[in-house]
Amino acid sequence: MLRFIVRRVVRGLVALFLFQSLLFGLVHALPYDFSAFVLAPPDRRAFIQHELGLDRPLREQYVRWLSGFARLDLGTSYLFWPTPVSEVLFSRLARTLLLFLSAAVLAYLLGIWLGKVIAWRRGGLAEVGVTLGGVAAYTSFAPWLGFVMINVFGWYLDWLPYQRLINPNIWFNVPVAADVLLAALLVTVGLAFGGLLLVRQALRCVRARRWRWGAQAGVLLAMGSGAWWWWSRSGLGYLALDVLAHLALPLTTVVLLSFGETMMLMRTAMLETLGEDYVLMARAKGLPDKIIRDRHVARNAILPVITRLALNLPFVLVGSLVIERVFMWHAMGQVVFLAVEFQDIPVLLGVLSVVGVLTLIAHAVLDVVYIYLDPRMRYAGGG
Amino acid sequence: MSSVACRSGPGRLRVRLRHVRIPWQRLRADGRLLLHQPLGLLGLVVIVGFGLMAVAHPLLMATVWNRARFDPIVGFDPTQVPHPKPPTRQHLLGTDNFGRDVLSQLLAGARVSFGVGLIAALVAVTISTLLGGAAGYFGGLADVALMGVADVFVLLPAPVVLLIFGLLLRMQWPVVALAYGLLTGLGGQAVVVKSQTLTIKARPFIEAARIAGGGDGHIIRVHILPGLMPLTVVHAVFTVVGAVLTESLLSFFSRTSYYLSWGTMIWLGQETFRWFNLGGQWHVILPPALAIMLFCSAFYLVGRALDEVLNPRLRRQ
Repeated sequence: MLRFIVRRVVRGLVALFLFQSLLFGLVHALPYDFSAFVLAPPDRRAFIQHELGLDRPLREQYVRWLSGFARLDLGTSYLFWPTPVSEVLFSRLARTLLLFLSAAVLAYLLGIWLGKVIAWRRGGLAEVGVTLGGVAAYTSFAPWLGFVMINVFGWYLDWLPYQRLINPNIWFNVPVAADVLLAALLVTVGLAFGGLLLVRQALRCVRARRWRWGAQAGVLLAMGSGAWWWWSRSGLGYLALDVLAHLALPLTTVVLLSFGETMMLMRTAMLETLGEDYVLMARAKGLPDKIIRDRHVARNAILPVITRLALNLPFVLVGSLVIERVFMWHAMGQVVFLAVEFQDIPVLLGVLSVVGVLTLIAHAVLDVVYIYLDPRMRYAGGG
Repeated sequence: MSSVACRSGPGRLRVRLRHVRIPWQRLRADGRLLLHQPLGLLGLVVIVGFGLMAVAHPLLMATVWNRARFDPIVGFDPTQVPHPKPPTRQHLLGTDNFGRDVLSQLLAGARVSFGVGLIAALVAVTISTLLGGAAGYFGGLADVALMGVADVFVLLPAPVVLLIFGLLLRMQWPVVALAYGLLTGLGGQAVVVKSQTLTIKARPFIEAARIAGGGDGHIIRVHILPGLMPLTVVHAVFTVVGAVLTESLLSFFSRTSYYLSWGTMIWLGQETFRWFNLGGQWHVILPPALAIMLFCSAFYLVGRALDEVLNPRLRRQ
C-alpha cells in the first residue's frame, strides 16, 4: 500500500513537471508579448520588456518560473502591475465559487436524480422526453442559451436583472465591499448545504419515516431562520438579495448546460448495475421498487458519477469562460480572457497551473482511495 | 492473469489496416438491434438531413441560385433593401446585415461542421487506439510512456485550451479540428482504450491464438482491433459532438477566425445588433443556433444508441 502511494506520488510529480513545461511552451508560443499592447515609444517598450524580464533567454525565464512555482510564488501580474498573481486570483475566488460551484453541485444533484428516474423507466415515454430535453440542453450553444435567458427572463418579462454582478444604484455608498459580501453569502450557502448533508446522514438511524421527515424539516427551518436572523441583524440582507437576483439567470443557464451529461452518465451506471445478481436477490426478497432503486442500485451506481464530479471540480475555478462573458460576471474566466488578450503571462500560467495541480491531486487521491476501498484492486495493482 | 510472455520484436509486428478482420456477422446483428432504438434512429435521420443540406449547397449554387446574390460569403442582393431582411419568397430565411442569404450560409456551414467532426473524430480515434492499444498490449515501457503523456493531457481539456489559444492564434477550422482530436485522443480516451485492451488481452482466446502459433501482428489484427471497434465507434461519435460545439464556441468568441461557420453566423448576428434586441433579428441568430443544437444532439443520440447496442452490460435481457 505504502509502495503504491509513493509510486503514485512520483508519477504525479513527473506529470506535474511535464505539464508545467508544456504549459510554458504553449503560452510562450503565442505570437505577441505584453509590451506590444502598451502604447509607448520603442525605447520605453524595450524598457518595459527589460523590467519584466521578457528580453532574457527563454531558458532563463523557464527556470525562474519553475523555481518560483516550487516556492508557491506565482509571480506578479503584468496587467495589474504591482499585484501578485495569487492576490489577483484570490480576489475573484468568491464570485467564481458562488456561481460555478453551486451550479456544479446543483447540476450534479439534478442529473443524478433524473438519471436515476429515467434508468428505472427504461424505454418509457418519460425516458424519451427527459433524454431529449437533457441532450438538447447539453448540446445547445452556450452563448445562445444565455441570450435566450437574458431576452426572455431579463428583458421581455423583466423578472430578473441580467449582466453584471450587482446593481450599482443599490450599492452606492454601502459600507461593505461586494467581494466580502459574496464571501459571506458563499459561507452561508456552504454551511446550509453542509448542515443539511450532516443532518441527513445523522438521521439515517431513525427508522420511522415520519420522525425523520419532521426532524429534517425542523433543522431546515432552524437553519433558515438562523441565516435570516444573521443577515437581517447585519443590515445587509437587501444587498445579499440583490446578489442572489443577479445570480439567478447565470446559475440557471449553467445548470441547464451541464446537467445532461451527469444524467446520461448516471443512467448508464444504473443500467449496468441493474444486471447484477444482488439486484435480482433484492427483487426476490420482495423489497419495494423504491428501496431497490435508491438503496441497492443507485448507491452502487453513483461511484463513477462522483468520480467524475471530483475530477471536474478543479475546472470550476476557470468557470465557464463563455457564461462569464455573456452575463458579464467578472470572475476568474474574465481574468483568463484579459490575461490572454494582453499576454499577461504570469496570470495565465498561474490560473492554468493551479487548476492543473488541483486536478492532479484529485486524480492521485481518487486512485489511492479506490485502492483503499476496493480490495480487488488492492491485490491486483497495489503489489 | 496473462502468463504468456509477450513476444514483441522488430519485424514481427506487421499490421495492415486492410487485413483487419471485420466481424460482418456481428455487425449485422448489432445493426438489427439498432433498429429498436427510436432515439438513435431519430438522430440518424437528422444527421442524414444535415448531410443532404451540405450536399445541396453546391448543387443549388450551380443551378438555382444566382452566384452574386446567394454566395454565402460575398453575396449581396441589391433588390432587397434595407438589409437585415426578414424571410421572404426569394430569401427563405431572410438576409443578414451584409445582405447575404441566411439559408445559403446555413447550408454552407453544415459542410464545415461535418468536416470538423470528421477530422476530429478520425484523429482522436486513431491516436487513442494506437497509443492505448500499444500500451495495453505491450505493457512495459510503452505503458509507462503512455500513462505519462495521458497524465499530462488529462489536465488540458480541449475546450478550455482551444478557447484560450484561439483568442490570439488565427486558426482555420481544419486546424481547430486537428487540435481538438489531438487533445482528446491523447487524454482520457487513450486511457479508456488501454484498459479495454487489457480486458481483451486477458481473454482465453488470445492465449489459444498464441498457442496455435499466432504472432503479435496476427493477434492485434484479428482479435484486438475488432474487439476495440465498438468502443472506438462510440468514442468517435461523441468526439464529433465535442468538436463541433468547441469549434462553434471558438468561431463565436475568437476575433481571429474569419471563416464561415454556424458560430461565426451567430457572432456576426449578435455583434452587429444589440444583444437584448434579439426579437427583431431572430432569423439571423436562430437558424444557426438551432442547427448547432440539432446537429450535436443527433450525434449524441446516435452515440447513446450505439453504446446501448454495443455495451454488453447495457443490453436488455
